[in-house]
Amino acid sequence: MAKEVGGYVKLQVKGGQANPSPPIGPALGSKGLNIMEFCKQFNGRTQDKMGMILPVLITYYKDKTFDFVIKTPPAPVLLKEAAKVKGGSAQPNRTKVGSVSWDQVKQIAETKMPDLNCFTVESAMRMIAGTARSMGITVTGTAPWDNQ
Amino acid sequence: MNYIELSLTLSPDYTDILMAELGELGFESFVETDEGLLAYVTEDLFDETAIQEVIAKYEELTAIAYQVSSLEKKNWNAEWEQNYEPITVGENLVRVRASFHEPDAAFQHELVINPKMSFGTGHHETTSMMLEHQMHIGHAGKAVLDVGSGTGILAILAAKMGASPVVAFDIEEWAVENAVENAGLNNHPEIRVFQGTIADVDPAERYDIVLANINRNVLLVEIPTYVSLLNENGYLFVSGFYEHDAADIEAKANEAGMELVRSLTKNQWSSLVFRKA
Repeated sequence: MAKEVGGYVKLQVKGGQANPSPPIGPALGSKGLNIMEFCKQFNGRTQDKMGMILPVLITYYKDKTFDFVIKTPPAPVLLKEAAKVKGGSAQPNRTKVGSVSWDQVKQIAETKMPDLNCFTVESAMRMIAGTARSMGITVTGTAPWDNQ
Repeated sequence: MNYIELSLTLSPDYTDILMAELGELGFESFVETDEGLLAYVTEDLFDETAIQEVIAKYEELTAIAYQVSSLEKKNWNAEWEQNYEPITVGENLVRVRASFHEPDAAFQHELVINPKMSFGTGHHETTSMMLEHQMHIGHAGKAVLDVGSGTGILAILAAKMGASPVVAFDIEEWAVENAVENAGLNNHPEIRVFQGTIADVDPAERYDIVLANINRNVLLVEIPTYVSLLNENGYLFVSGFYEHDAADIEAKANEAGMELVRSLTKNQWSSLVFRKA
């Protein structure tokens, strides 16, 4: 028989850095789950993504067991990584301090596709490029759809 | 380490962006709320000016309000710890229980662990495989070092198997307090526990057994140091990594002059024992 689901917890945690403090501690502890086991498992599974913010969706069951799914990092995190801008621009609309290429935008869009409400890579790219602009990151070159 | 909670009220369109910005300021984890975002950082990294700068950066685009609260240190794992079931390793080899469970004389070694938010009760494969390995290698009269000791469970089993001296350390203050408490509960107050990292171990010290249940990245960096602390024919026990990383760990140990003597795999976790050749 399938285990009975008790509920879900969604958190964003840096890879390899889960520890029993808040928010993990209170979120899982209050459900009677073994926080230490979650931390060991999450950190074990994210050794390749140390320090990168990762959304994690935890499903807990009535028998106090749990499992979890790690999703792709939020687009702004990937953009920062791609642009390697520390802190971005002080005034996003004026001074552009970091930049990414359309190829990088495409890569991020493809990474994020499973978690976005976009039907095509192009619409995902437009969304990612918009986010970059809000953060003061310039997208360099010509958008692929302007080339045709 | 105490934590600070930053509670942000903002439009959901900006939560991911703020997360990315705060992540660069040392914030470790986040929860999305109906009003915006909760973000958590250790007290030593909290920098309110830097946070204000980030908010100012977006003020033309969206309104962001914030509130700061300091969080008390608390055992969040208490609920699980109050109800945990004892675990056993092998046929009557080791049983791990809390002080509220009845003893069971059928086991060669019974460990009493009240974990208090520290890692190591044997419920996790990485720990139970280490306990199982330990039961297959003589500890009597041997000097043992437990790296990242958590509850002290591995050091305590070592002491029960006759190891002496037994030294353990952990980077977490809470784990150190807890290991000392558990060592006492098991009548092995002679186990020396200190707060620190491998860098705090005197390089002139020599051990017959090094126990390290940590993670892949730390092991890959520190294995050569563990090996340098081992006597000839000494053993290195490692755990805390997945099966797919075992080959890298083994290569690193071989490079440092160790040979694989025991290997266990459970639920995709791997645990290995090496001997100094």
